[in-house]
Amino acid sequence: MVKIQYGDQLVEVENGQTILEVLLHEGHEIPNNCRAGACQSCLMQAIDGEVPAAAQSGLKDTQKSQGYFMACRCQPSSDLKISPLNAEEIFTTATVIERQLLSEDVLRLRLVPEKPFAYRAGQFVTLWNSQKIGRSYSLASVFGVDPFLEFHIRRIDEGRLSPWLHEQIDINDQLQIQPACGDCFYVPENKLQPILLAGTSTGLAPLIGIARDALEQSHEGEIHLLHGALKPAGLYLHNTLLSMAQAYDNFHYHASVLENDHSIAGIGEGSLDEQAMGLLSNPAEWKIYLCGAPEMVNSLKKKIFLAGANMRNIHSDPFIPASKDNQ
Amino acid sequence: MSNLYERIGGQAAVDKAVEVFYRKVLMDERINEFFDGVDMDEQINKQKGFLTMAFGGPNDYTGKDLREGHKHLVARGLNDSHVDAVIELLGETLQELGVASEDIQEVAAIANSVRDDVLDR
Repeated sequence: MVKIQYGDQLVEVENGQTILEVLLHEGHEIPNNCRAGACQSCLMQAIDGEVPAAAQSGLKDTQKSQGYFMACRCQPSSDLKISPLNAEEIFTTATVIERQLLSEDVLRLRLVPEKPFAYRAGQFVTLWNSQKIGRSYSLASVFGVDPFLEFHIRRIDEGRLSPWLHEQIDINDQLQIQPACGDCFYVPENKLQPILLAGTSTGLAPLIGIARDALEQSHEGEIHLLHGALKPAGLYLHNTLLSMAQAYDNFHYHASVLENDHSIAGIGEGSLDEQAMGLLSNPAEWKIYLCGAPEMVNSLKKKIFLAGANMRNIHSDPFIPASKDNQ
Repeated sequence: MSNLYERIGGQAAVDKAVEVFYRKVLMDERINEFFDGVDMDEQINKQKGFLTMAFGGPNDYTGKDLREGHKHLVARGLNDSHVDAVIELLGETLQELGVASEDIQEVAAIANSVRDDVLDR
């Protein structure tokens, strides 16, 4: 018999019982469906203790490394502390330390949280203003390296948070932030694996974070970052990425625009899709990260999967706009 | 005598088969329109559930779930020919993975047994 701490409740699990069975018996409402480790409806996160391998079978490496598991397959052999997925989120106050316009419509915002804030570059965080308007943005900074959290905020004219972030917020102002979420980040499981990172617009924020995280962790495989924009002016970190490509032998930067006005020299014209597919010589070997416009992310994900890439190796983060009701 | 699920290879076989099967489904012009705009990660999980069921493995699939889950597709014209195509692709998948033909027939029979639920009849 082992003890499970679920939120603030302590429950006992007999040999052979699953966590799902016990929690349901205790009266908790746990979403669940197949009870065979397939549908993942009962996904939960362990914050302390050891999760049996069977309870994580079929999950992505990024999920495994964060302690996610399926309650229906979890017959724990030692004590566990579990965070219910729908637990009340805890807010952290963060202070603006830097704001800089990187292009006509992209603002770089750097924040310092007032208490320790763990995350992985590429995950997303929901930022809230005092009017309780929240929007999610991806982390471009690298945990343990950058002494701040960095976000790239694209101004959406009819948006409710981005114009405020662009025009109203100032240095030393404070925001409330939620814990980092998402499974779009670097995992050092195979340091020789080639990595493809492709994104449009501010999809670059998580991608540059993931690339820097991989380089910081001495990734040895080739890393190709593709940034697509409508026009050269949208390649808002062009020079930074060129410098990175010079500094690291295994980091390669590919810029592509749909309409080339030749305002920046040496940029190819063409779609991000074509460039990505051209690079993936043997798709099954690659780790792939796709971020940005949902149409681009979803269509490229499908193409890459059909070309033979493993779904577990494709991490995607489509930037879905806030719903109409929420505007 | 081991059961069908164990003979095929259990959950490891499901994990292996699901991507091969899903690729076939997405590339098959007879049925791929029903999968347009569907979240691929979610779909992979659903198909794992389906394969586990078809392989005779542990599952909680009920006729009611299958009915509810496919009603919107039946409204869009899902019929016997599409179910036939899915069972055919399932067979091709298992053949590629080296599953014995008697076992493939058994899987096809299980998949076929939920036909009326899927088609809401």
